[in-house]
Amino acid sequence: MPTRGEEVRSDVRRFRRRHDLTQEELGDRVGVTRQTIISIEGGRYNPSVGLALRLAEALGVTVEELFRLSPEEER
Amino acid sequence: MTDREPKPRLPPTALVSTAVVAAGVLLWMFVSRGWLVVAGLGAFGPGILRELGLLSDHDEFQRRAARRAGYHAYLIGGFAAIAVLSAIEWGGGAVDESAEWIRFIVVVLWLTWLSSTLLTFWGPQKTAARVLTAFGAFWAVFVVATLIGDAVSMGPDPELLLGVAVGIGLLTPFFGLAWTARRWPHATGLCLLAASAIIFLVFGMRRANFEWSAVVMRDTLLLGPLLVSGLALLFGWGAEETTPEENRRAAGRSRSRDQVLR
Repeated sequence: MPTRGEEVRSDVRRFRRRHDLTQEELGDRVGVTRQTIISIEGGRYNPSVGLALRLAEALGVTVEELFRLSPEEER
Repeated sequence: MTDREPKPRLPPTALVSTAVVAAGVLLWMFVSRGWLVVAGLGAFGPGILRELGLLSDHDEFQRRAARRAGYHAYLIGGFAAIAVLSAIEWGGGAVDESAEWIRFIVVVLWLTWLSSTLLTFWGPQKTAARVLTAFGAFWAVFVVATLIGDAVSMGPDPELLLGVAVGIGLLTPFFGLAWTARRWPHATGLCLLAASAIIFLVFGMRRANFEWSAVVMRDTLLLGPLLVSGLALLFGWGAEETTPEENRRAAGRSRSRDQVLR
């Protein structure tokens, strides 16, 4: 059953690839494991605000560019 | 290609805990059954150290996964224990020592779940204050009910006044500590730990009259909330998801970014 948390879409994978980073390298930069990056990219985990800010900083974008609500939530 | 599979690595904590579990099982098999406790230390030790803030090898996703798994274990373990206990008691037979232990496990599961939930929602100070208020209120009802019972059976008696004084005397520490928990958390935490130790020693005097498992359960129900409240106040338990270290790092990063923007 979908939950409210699963309605956040992540563009982490796209920006990570743009920077030619592996999931492990990105994880090392923001202080989390590769498994955490995999889960964020796969939409199975919504990071905390702190981690979202660190990811945005590591990828040189804003948090809003990395994460957005799915169309059902955008009103 | 940026998604190449790195070689899987077993974290050092997992290596150590696996070795300790293996050693515990070997000792249990070949030396003495009591050595199973070593396997227990290996299995549960790292998690307990993480929750105490003494080990920080997990990131937020791993912590969330561990807590989710813990909640599932609580639900399934608690239900299974109650189902077994229910089946034993339904059988009509006398509840033996093993059933007492199952009750104890259920109480520990429930108390742990309750304490963790309260600390997460309210934080240590409010939780301790409310636990103490609840204890005080429960004790007040007990004292009032006893005094009414005595008044009805004995009629007007000077001893009743003494009973009222003693009852109020016993109530005051609960409400007093509930008040101080928000103002002086560390001092109150120490008082609660001292009170727990005193209650344990005082009730320990009656140990011979009960089965050991029943005593352990009663002590857990009585002392558990006081002990947890005291430790929570002393160590500031109840912060969610991010560790103090992560908060400090985030605060430092945000300050340096503000300076750049200015």
